[in-house]
Amino acid sequence: MNSEELIRRLAASAKPVRRLPHPMWRAMMWFVLSLTYAAVLVFVLGLRADFSVRIAEPRFLIELSAAILTSMMAAAAAFCSTCPGRPLWERLAPFPFLLVWLASLGEGCWRDWTLHGVQSLAIQLEFSCFWKIVATSAAPLILILLMVRRGAPIAPYLTTGLATLAAAALVAAGMLLFHQQESSVMVLVWQFGSVLVLSGFAALFGRHVLYWRTVDMRSLDNQTTPHC
Amino acid sequence: MSTPRDDRARLEREERWRQLMRAAQDGDTAAYAALLSEILPVLRRFVAYRWPSAPDVEDIVQEVLLSVHTVRHTYDLARPFMPWLMTIAMRRTIDAARRRTARSANETTVDIMPETFSRSDTKNEQETSDDQEAIRRALAQLPDGQRQAVELMKVRGLSLQEASAVTGKSVASLKVSVHRGLKTMREVLKRETQ
Repeated sequence: MNSEELIRRLAASAKPVRRLPHPMWRAMMWFVLSLTYAAVLVFVLGLRADFSVRIAEPRFLIELSAAILTSMMAAAAAFCSTCPGRPLWERLAPFPFLLVWLASLGEGCWRDWTLHGVQSLAIQLEFSCFWKIVATSAAPLILILLMVRRGAPIAPYLTTGLATLAAAALVAAGMLLFHQQESSVMVLVWQFGSVLVLSGFAALFGRHVLYWRTVDMRSLDNQTTPHC
Repeated sequence: MSTPRDDRARLEREERWRQLMRAAQDGDTAAYAALLSEILPVLRRFVAYRWPSAPDVEDIVQEVLLSVHTVRHTYDLARPFMPWLMTIAMRRTIDAARRRTARSANETTVDIMPETFSRSDTKNEQETSDDQEAIRRALAQLPDGQRQAVELMKVRGLSLQEASAVTGKSVASLKVSVHRGLKTMREVLKRETQ
């Protein structure tokens, strides 16, 4: 089939389409739904025992805000990355917040070290943290993947990685409210680390999650050529 | 260096394509055909410029057209049209180049085909015809679903996704149908030779 014939068939089969809403609007929709889910999760599991003490600490507030903002910006970036022709900086938007989150955890580690010495940096194996993040982030992750699939798969690896980062960071923020960790280094390794590992791992499957849809050539073939 | 007249022409073209795309999204087939016809030479030039040694420029251009068709709902009327189009064209050209590299990595070019038999007439025309007839008979014995899957993917050479689009069945179901179909055919052919 030559290109002119393909154009004729595509045009003949074209139906009105529902325009994709603005990426920020879609990100906000996802965030509100996922935040509700996270709030229910915190309500069901209960706040951590030392919550009233921790919430008064500026470092805890920065850590919590950075995790939530990372999630919010990663979702926005994931949706932007499925819209062709949008600027590159939008896809990089979550990374400053991710760095703030890392810095707040790093500062916590440093403070623990100066106060309690090297033993405060001891890492215990706590794989349950990782699995909790995997299990609880499944729902918001499935939701955001279904939503990004409506877009164009122009950067499938990046989009999938950002979508997973959004879901996992939100759940990690929720975990700060209901899961008590002994030290900053444990949060750094088992919560922040889990978020990064999950995002990187999911990104590897980008092409399987987001791919170019095929056009039903049978429906195009059914378009009859008008006879003059 | 572009002159003010070139810039004005470019802006007018951009505005025109934006309006055509708006109409196309609303279901105006004439506007859509006009838009695709106008972007066709631009896409040809783009693909030829980005991948000068591309052996199949027209195939890649058609892939870009199909991709534009499937994601035309992602165009935001508030944004310029050309960056949207060029991002898709660039992405699909890279995909085509990657596919070609992957394919050529598994292929070896040889001047003389190696002989597997000492005589060139090991398989004569009669035997070839007999084989084809046996395969045709084995194919005819398959249930409709399995026969259609085998015909589309093994005879016509469609990919799983293309066959899925044609039949309306899921990729997983097609995989199972082809697997079972081939297994049954193998058993039928084995019975026939015994």
